[in-house]
Amino acid sequence: MTTKFSKTQIDRLGDRLRKGNLTDADFRLLDEYRRSFGEVYEIVVRAIRERLKLEPTGRPAKSTGSIVDKLHRESIRLSQVQDIAGCRIVVSDVKEQDRIVGLLLNVFPRASIVDRRVHTSFGYRAVHVIPRISGKLIEVQVRSLLQHSWAELSERVSDVFDPAIKYGVGNNMILKILMDNSERVKQIETMEDQILVASEDRLKLRVLQQEIIDTKKELVNHLNKLILIVEGREEKKV
Amino acid sequence: MIFLIEYDRRKGELITLKRFRDSDRLKAQNKRLEIELDLNHKGINHEVVLLEAAKEAMIRRTHRRYFETPRQIAKSVKAGK
Repeated sequence: MTTKFSKTQIDRLGDRLRKGNLTDADFRLLDEYRRSFGEVYEIVVRAIRERLKLEPTGRPAKSTGSIVDKLHRESIRLSQVQDIAGCRIVVSDVKEQDRIVGLLLNVFPRASIVDRRVHTSFGYRAVHVIPRISGKLIEVQVRSLLQHSWAELSERVSDVFDPAIKYGVGNNMILKILMDNSERVKQIETMEDQILVASEDRLKLRVLQQEIIDTKKELVNHLNKLILIVEGREEKKV
Repeated sequence: MIFLIEYDRRKGELITLKRFRDSDRLKAQNKRLEIELDLNHKGINHEVVLLEAAKEAMIRRTHRRYFETPRQIAKSVKAGK
């Protein structure tokens, strides 16, 4: 596998992306750079499909807008962006998430793990498994259903309001609702985990089940508040 | 299958969804670049992205923000889907 680009060339492109006003030549170079991940991306996705019998959704190349956002908010160079290519797996719950992460580590034993359940990123929770092949990183996102719903909602709200919201900047009311709900997702998933341990203790089990129902209700109520704000904004734009 | 998505982030609106066979990856990549260049010439800021999955239903599940309103996403939290 040969690389046609020097790091300097890519990082200079990153600087131009940060500044804006891109030329056709910049778009073509960025496109070529993203395509250079294709072979390694294929290896990773094929291994997940064939060896683990899982069906990830692949995203062979990060969009230009997302790359620009990332370069703006983090002081990193384009050559350091580690999610140029990747894929996503959504599973039922945390227990299944842990199982899938374990399986991925069997296939890619030297992959690095970023556990965003422990080190959340502005409320974002998930586990990222990142194999490095031929010097290129491919990000495999493993999300539980609740984590995924939160992430998609946060992205959608960021789209309409302000891309910076995803990164903890902007409308304080929206940020608070998102952060509080991320915490509720954590609480629900922790209690769901405890239910498995408490299955012998009927009283404890019932208490946990009720707490999950109550926390889910709170979650839904707060999401409804968020939706009213977002829909109000969307109506104004029409 | 390969799916080429053009999405207006500001409006939260899916503009186009084009489908390509797995064997047409190069065609899909070229189309993505063509759209991006065209949008740049017109000064339009849309997200253009390629996704790959066995079925369309999968991208609708894993990349819901392109297809669903916040209300629909929140509803699924209630339903546990």
